[in-house]
Amino acid sequence: MRLHSLVLKDISRRKTKLGLAVLSVVIAAAAIVAVVTTFSAATDGLYEESNKFGANIIVRPEVTTIPLVAGSTSIGSLSTGENYIEESEIPRIHTIQNNSNLAVVAPRLYGVAELDDSSVVIMGVDPEKEKTLKPWWKIQGHWMAAKTPEKTEVMVGSDIAGPLGLKEGSPITLSQGNISIDAQVAGVIESTGGNEDGYVILPLATSQYLLSKEGKVSSLEVRALCNDCPVEEISRQIEEVFPGLEARSMSQIVETEMAVVEHTESSAMAVSIITLLVSTLTVASTMLASVNEKLKEIGIMRAVGASNRQVVSMLFFEGAIIGIIGGGIGFAIGTAASSIAAPMLVSVSPSPMWEILPAVVGICIVTGMVASIIPAKRALGVDPAEVLRSV
Amino acid sequence: MSDYLETLETSNNPENLSENLLANLIQVKDVTKKYRLGNNEVEVLHGINLEVKAGEFVSIMGQSGSGKTTLMNIIGMLDRPTEGSILIKDIDITKKSQKELVDFRRRTVGFVFQQFHLIPSLTAYENVALPLVFSGDKDNSAVESALERVGLAHRMHHKPVELSGGEQQRVAIARAVVMKPKILLADEPTGALDATTGSMIISLLKSLAGDMTVIMVTHNSELAEYSDRIVYLKDGNVAE
Ligand SMILES: Nc1ncnc2c1ncn2[C@@H]1O[C@H](COP(=O)(O)OP(=O)(O)OP(=O)(O)O)[C@@H](O)[C@H]1O
Ligand SMILES: [Mg+2]
Repeated sequence: MRLHSLVLKDISRRKTKLGLAVLSVVIAAAAIVAVVTTFSAATDGLYEESNKFGANIIVRPEVTTIPLVAGSTSIGSLSTGENYIEESEIPRIHTIQNNSNLAVVAPRLYGVAELDDSSVVIMGVDPEKEKTLKPWWKIQGHWMAAKTPEKTEVMVGSDIAGPLGLKEGSPITLSQGNISIDAQVAGVIESTGGNEDGYVILPLATSQYLLSKEGKVSSLEVRALCNDCPVEEISRQIEEVFPGLEARSMSQIVETEMAVVEHTESSAMAVSIITLLVSTLTVASTMLASVNEKLKEIGIMRAVGASNRQVVSMLFFEGAIIGIIGGGIGFAIGTAASSIAAPMLVSVSPSPMWEILPAVVGICIVTGMVASIIPAKRALGVDPAEVLRSV
Repeated sequence: MSDYLETLETSNNPENLSENLLANLIQVKDVTKKYRLGNNEVEVLHGINLEVKAGEFVSIMGQSGSGKTTLMNIIGMLDRPTEGSILIKDIDITKKSQKELVDFRRRTVGFVFQQFHLIPSLTAYENVALPLVFSGDKDNSAVESALERVGLAHRMHHKPVELSGGEQQRVAIARAVVMKPKILLADEPTGALDATTGSMIISLLKSLAGDMTVIMVTHNSELAEYSDRIVYLKDGNVAE
């Protein structure tokens, strides 16, 4: 028989009493596991979504840029000077090493044109490619077709459509210098809160004609497709292929959403940690009660040769066991809880995070041992001569 | 087991006994003990002097409250005297630190109490094994021989509640001797037992004396007659 088997025997004898202590550790551990699992799934989901939708990388000429504002809507920045990408060079992007990760390469041409005597920002796009990039756009009307001989179709952002009363089928005339084109509104993009709210979007070729920029594009929006994309690496490779162009990963949107998720996560984590503190107290009071019940036994052990250290280490071991059991069960319950709650809360289905199991159990062991400090002090205060004297 | 008995037998041999008796194993010198009760100090022992030889079987008698248990606890290093010193094999244990005492006590004294003080959740075997557990001894063979010595080898897997009072006290005696200590301290070992069982326990203690020094507290002068010597405590003083 060893010291620890003595403790195990004692624990199994007092199962029901220690149950409360274990339960409180279970709750704290489950809360922590549920929070971590749910939010890491949410974060993963966010990245996945950002991979699925929208461009990850913007490629444009390396020039100084100035911020451009249309009305109250910021439309980002616009290249100054005559720096454009030659449309004919675009296919070279597929010579990069990570070519297989390039799902969509969408060319864009930005410019300013006159519409009903006011200036509007126009964006020329490849409608097919843009559609795959912006699956979340809701169009009142329909997606514009690529340039057709009979009529030119355009789409307008909600900030432009509203004031001008444009809707599907409205005819508009865009002009720039002495070039002008007649077009028909194919659809209005419902407000996304993004830059496109203030744009008139037209087929690339039409915009090139209108702006007299045949064969030129302002930027490329590249969607890289892969899990855990090495976006920075892909950007670097693109810059290598196109000297004079800069490729920037566009993780800003994701980062904003991430900030919201992280904020929520830290609140949830704070609650979990409070739970953990409460559970430390519960374990401490349960163990203190059990030490008080066992004063005589502790006295007997001291009388038959237990040292202070042995008495203390028995209690710490007991605390650690409570932590291990509580942490293990808590992990299972927390994982189960998050697999039920996460789909409702953050619409992702998390998978068990085995990698956090050791840390969770470790935290619970520490909790159990910290909780043992006061009971251990009490046990050390036991004077065997005194407790064994009382009948 | 046989080793153990042999040592017992050889030391019960009168020649060895007289040789052993030459040495004072325990020397209690001017021991006083004061207890603090709130602001009052109560002196329970007033300068006790006592010498016990190796292998001796000594009974301590005295009225309730005369300080018998207090003296036993001090000799057994469960308690410290307020003044005076205790020498065991010429080592002054009052000068030892708490930490040093633990191991010394483990190997030097065994305790038997009136209330047996077995741990209820442990079997007889496990109770007897406790001192070995705490001393880090991995060889458990002494447990069985100790239980055989008290005639309870066949009950070793029973828990205290499944044993009679006399049997429980025999388990407690086995636990007290499992480390083969030089001193066995028994504080009213028969106090909770009927007369027949009590005298059985005393004969058991008597058979252990010789190899061990046995000091027994008892209120029963008949049982005290079994011992080599009776020491009377009266109001914290020795009145032999
Ligand atoms: N911790 C303590 N604090 C104060 N007084 C104490 C304490 N322990 C014992 N006493 C007192 O010391 C005196 C001696 O006690 P002790 O237990 O040694 O007597 P005893 O001879 O063993 O008595 P009994 O025959 O009833 O067991 C008693 O008056 C008791 O009340
Ligand atoms: Mg007493």
